[in-house]
Amino acid sequence: MSDTSGLLKEPWQRLSRQRDAGQFGIWVFLASEVLFFGALMLTYTVCRVEHMEAFAAAARETNIWYGTINTAILLTSSLTMAVASQAAASGEPFRRLILWCLLATAALGLAFLVVKGFEYKEDIEKHLVPDAHFALKQVGAQLFYGLYWLVTGVHAVHLTIGIILVLRLAFLGSLGELQLRENPELEVTGLYWHLVDIVWIFLYPLIYLPGRS
Amino acid sequence: MTARDAKPSLTAWSLWRRNGGIWAALMLLLAASLTFAYIPMGLLTSVVGIVIAVIKASLVVLLFMELFRSKTLVHLAALSGIVFLAALFALTLADVLTRLRSG
Repeated sequence: MSDTSGLLKEPWQRLSRQRDAGQFGIWVFLASEVLFFGALMLTYTVCRVEHMEAFAAAARETNIWYGTINTAILLTSSLTMAVASQAAASGEPFRRLILWCLLATAALGLAFLVVKGFEYKEDIEKHLVPDAHFALKQVGAQLFYGLYWLVTGVHAVHLTIGIILVLRLAFLGSLGELQLRENPELEVTGLYWHLVDIVWIFLYPLIYLPGRS
Repeated sequence: MTARDAKPSLTAWSLWRRNGGIWAALMLLLAASLTFAYIPMGLLTSVVGIVIAVIKASLVVLLFMELFRSKTLVHLAALSGIVFLAALFALTLADVLTRLRSG
């Protein structure tokens, strides 16, 4: 067994208790996030039911390649995050593997934001921002893009927070300031990361796939 | 030699193999949802997109987030999110969909 005494924090007397509490806490938070993003997706659903044709036409204007590549990037980042988290939880001496997986996760997150940046640039050039010069004439198309900017924007903020949290672990871990092995913080960060991925899994068919057939 | 020593220790390869399989399944599902989006099936096209998203999310939740191995308390916390989300959708759509039908 490795020494985990440095990981124990107040008020817990055992690391297993601390791990359970951390896990429960983050799942309660994730449940609240599900409701936050769920409410936005419900708004989308209600608007789409009222403006079926306009939503299909608006979604057709999104760049499906940026969307698909970004989905693949985020799914891959979940793989590296899962390996990092499970390697840490196993208690085996996987320090290098954990560090590299954390760095890969953060790099993939950054790659997502870069691709999203190019996509936003193209959207702005195509006048897909709801304003007086909006490109589409159908009633309801502005609603789609209003929600598009809001939801993808909030998602990007979540992802940015995730990247900072993962980089923090990698940075402190590489300096030796933070013990990565059996550290519950890795698990909690990983769970948050996966939720950000799941939100995107649902945004992909809502934003990019309608109106293609 | 104790039973613990006899147990083969976890290797990096076994971690990659286990999670890599899930990743491959997620990629195949992504390709499937992209393909189905171009097949004209009316309303069913959207339904297929959502169903595939639910399957992908389930894989991530159960296997990457290891929910199936978690304790009951964690199951309840996760379930509470789903239950309230279902209530939110059910009650809102019960209103909106019937209003639109009646014009």
